[in-house]
Amino acid sequence: MSGVDSVDRLRIVAAGLRAPLYAEAHIELPYAQVWAVVADLEGELPHLLSFVREFRVASGDSARKAAVAVDAVGLRGDFDVRLSPGWCLMQSRLVTMGMAAVEEGDGTRFAVCGALRPAALGPVQRAYRRVLGARRARAFLSEVERRAALR
Amino acid sequence: MDDSPLPWDAAAPLVRAAQRGDALAMDDLLELVTPYVRRLCAPIAPRDTADAVQEALIAVFRGLKGVRDPVAFYGWVRAVSVREAVRVARRSAGEVAVGDEEVVRLRELLGEVRGGELGLEVRDLLGRMSVQHRAVLVLREIEGLDERATAEVLGVPEGTVKSRLHRARSAFRKAWVR
Repeated sequence: MSGVDSVDRLRIVAAGLRAPLYAEAHIELPYAQVWAVVADLEGELPHLLSFVREFRVASGDSARKAAVAVDAVGLRGDFDVRLSPGWCLMQSRLVTMGMAAVEEGDGTRFAVCGALRPAALGPVQRAYRRVLGARRARAFLSEVERRAALR
Repeated sequence: MDDSPLPWDAAAPLVRAAQRGDALAMDDLLELVTPYVRRLCAPIAPRDTADAVQEALIAVFRGLKGVRDPVAFYGWVRAVSVREAVRVARRSAGEVAVGDEEVVRLRELLGEVRGGELGLEVRDLLGRMSVQHRAVLVLREIEGLDERATAEVLGVPEGTVKSRLHRARSAFRKAWVR
């Protein structure tokens, strides 16, 4: 996208969303190995997010798909998913989540972003960012690295 | 290059949706606006174009909620981009070069000049100009804004634009014939 790579793009979207959860890091594993984790949303998301029990994505090669998440207590949420190499953006009525990756030397630069959707939750998001956002984001990055290393 | 403004009819509903926190609309808007932001930033911050584009886009999207009239989005993106590009260019020690597209448009300033070597030389020439002169040339010669609109974007009086433009044009021509 005109010199803006996937991680830049997620950084910009996170700024627009004022996302309480955003982090990026270098992972010492090849890009293909890292991105394989994200590309396998159905198989990996329940490992990466403890509150997601199941994530079903509509079949097909389209970059825009519908998906259904089932949380730990059985509640369903419909998601719009955009998935292409190095880029994943998922959105339901309530939450947004993005992941991005680019090659960086022999490794990978990986970024994650998360936000709650209703604008009324702005103050909650700001408090969350201060208290937990960075820590949760770093934990997510570590988990992506761990899952990628298993491949 | 397509000189026409972006399809702003398409942008307005995306701006409204993005203001409501729709990340997918924000992503579409980002795709729509990035080439335009790059076109503005490249000649003003030629050495640090990637940084300027990134910082301009972050400023645009961070400020999106405050845009009252989505139809005026175009002018607002332009103002933010030029401001950020000038800031980034001033931050870097040296200044160099611009891209092919800008060179083609700026060569008109040189009137009778022809020849295959033009691109490189015009780039060198622009690289030696001040950031302020480059910004005013971009807005007047590339963006085609009038002096009043240029003054608004740069946040200076119209008279300053007139004199700055005059100096920029003559510096550009003089450097060329030298």
